[in-house]
Amino acid sequence: MAEAQHCKLLWIGITLIQQKLGESGMNCVELQASLAEIEDAKSTEQWNHLRSCPECSALVAELDLIISAATDLRAAEEPSPRVWNSIEIALRQEGLIRPQRSNGSLLPSLSSRWAWARWLAPAAAVLLLTLGIYVRQHSPAEPVARDIAPVTEPSDAAIAGLNDADLLQEVAQLTPAMQAQYADNLRHVNEYIQDAKGVVAANPNDEEARRSLMEAYQEKAMLFDLAMDRSLP
Amino acid sequence: MTDPEQRQSKDKDSNEAELIERAKQGDAQAFQALYDKHKRRVYSLCLRMTANTAEAEDLTQEAFLQLYRKIGTFRGESAFSTWLHRLSVNVVLMQLRKKSLPVVSLEETTQGGEEDTPKKDFGAEDLALAGSIDRLQLQKAVDDLPPGYRTIFVLHDVEGYEHNEIATIVGCSIGNSKSQLHKARMKLRDLLKMSRAEKADKS
Repeated sequence: MAEAQHCKLLWIGITLIQQKLGESGMNCVELQASLAEIEDAKSTEQWNHLRSCPECSALVAELDLIISAATDLRAAEEPSPRVWNSIEIALRQEGLIRPQRSNGSLLPSLSSRWAWARWLAPAAAVLLLTLGIYVRQHSPAEPVARDIAPVTEPSDAAIAGLNDADLLQEVAQLTPAMQAQYADNLRHVNEYIQDAKGVVAANPNDEEARRSLMEAYQEKAMLFDLAMDRSLP
Repeated sequence: MTDPEQRQSKDKDSNEAELIERAKQGDAQAFQALYDKHKRRVYSLCLRMTANTAEAEDLTQEAFLQLYRKIGTFRGESAFSTWLHRLSVNVVLMQLRKKSLPVVSLEETTQGGEEDTPKKDFGAEDLALAGSIDRLQLQKAVDDLPPGYRTIFVLHDVEGYEHNEIATIVGCSIGNSKSQLHKARMKLRDLLKMSRAEKADKS
C-alpha cells in the first residue's frame, strides 16, 4: 500500500516536472520562430507549448488550413492548343525544327490528290508580299506616297487567296484528327487579326500596332504552311 | 521506392533523355512530347502567379520557347524539369517586373521587431479561419501577395516542390526558402482575415 502510494506520488511528480519543463521549454516567440522549420512532425517542445497556449494553437491550426487549401489551387486546366501552335510556328521560323523526310527526296511528291497543296506556298508568299506593301504604304516615313494615292486596306478575302474553308476541308480529308485543332487555331488567329486591325485603325501611326498586325498575318500564313508540311507525304 | 517503381522512374528518365536528344536534332515530335509532358505544371505556375489565363498562356509559350532555344546547351547536370521550371519562374518574374510590381527580394532580412512580437488575436474569435477556406478567397489572397512570397508559396504549397528544388529554381538558400514560405503563409492568414472582416462589416 505504501509502495503504491509512493509510486503514485512519483508519477505525479514526474508529470509535474514534465509540465514545468514544457512551460519553460518554449515561449510564443520561440514557437512562432520555429514554425518556419516545421516540415512534417512537430517537436516535443512545440507540442508542449501548443498544448498550453490557445493563441499559438489557433495560429498553427489556421496555417494548416491554408496549407491544405493550397493544393486546391493547382490548375487542372491545360493551356489552349494555340500555345503549342504558336511555339511550333516560332520554332519553324527560327529553324529549330527541321523537316523530317523519310523518303530522302528533297522534293515532295505531288499527285493530283495533293494538287491543292501546291497553292499554299505561293499563296502564303502573296499574302506576305501584299502585307509588306500595305504596311509600307501606311508607314509614317512615307507621307508623300500616302498623299498621292489613297490606299485601301486589303480585304481578308483578297489577302487570303487563302481560304479558311478550303484549308479546313482539306485537313478534314487528309488528317481528320487535326481538323478541330486547325479550326480552333484559325479562329484564334482570325480573332488576333481582327483585334490587331482594330488597333491599327484607331492608331494608324502606331508602329507597334502595325507590327502586331503583320505578325498576326504571318501567323496565319505559317498555319497554312504547317498544313502544307503535314499534308505532304 | 519499390523495384518496379524504380524501374518505371528510370524508364521515364531515359525516355525523356531520348526526347531531349531528338529535340536537339530538330525533331518536331520530340519538342511536342516534351511540351505535352510539362505544359500543365508550367501553365499552372504561370496561372497562379498572374491570375490571368491569356497572360499565363503567353508566359507558358515564352518559357518553352526559351527552353527550346537553349536546349542544345542542356547537359543533364540537373533535372530537365528543374531547368524548365527555373526558366518559367524567371519568365514570370520578368513579366511582373515589367508591370512595375514590387518584387520582394528573396534574400531580404526581416525587419526588427516584426518577428519578436508574438501574434495574438485577443477577442478575434469571429475572424478565426475556422472550417474551410473558400478557393476563390484564397486565390484572391495569393494574388495580393508580393511576387516573391507568391512564388515560394505557389511552388511549395500549391505545386508541391521541395525546398531544395525551390532553392535551385529560384536561386536562394534552403533556409531562405523555408523562411519566405512561412512569411508568405502568415501574410496570407492576415489577408484572409481582413477579407472576412470586410465581408462581416458589409453584411
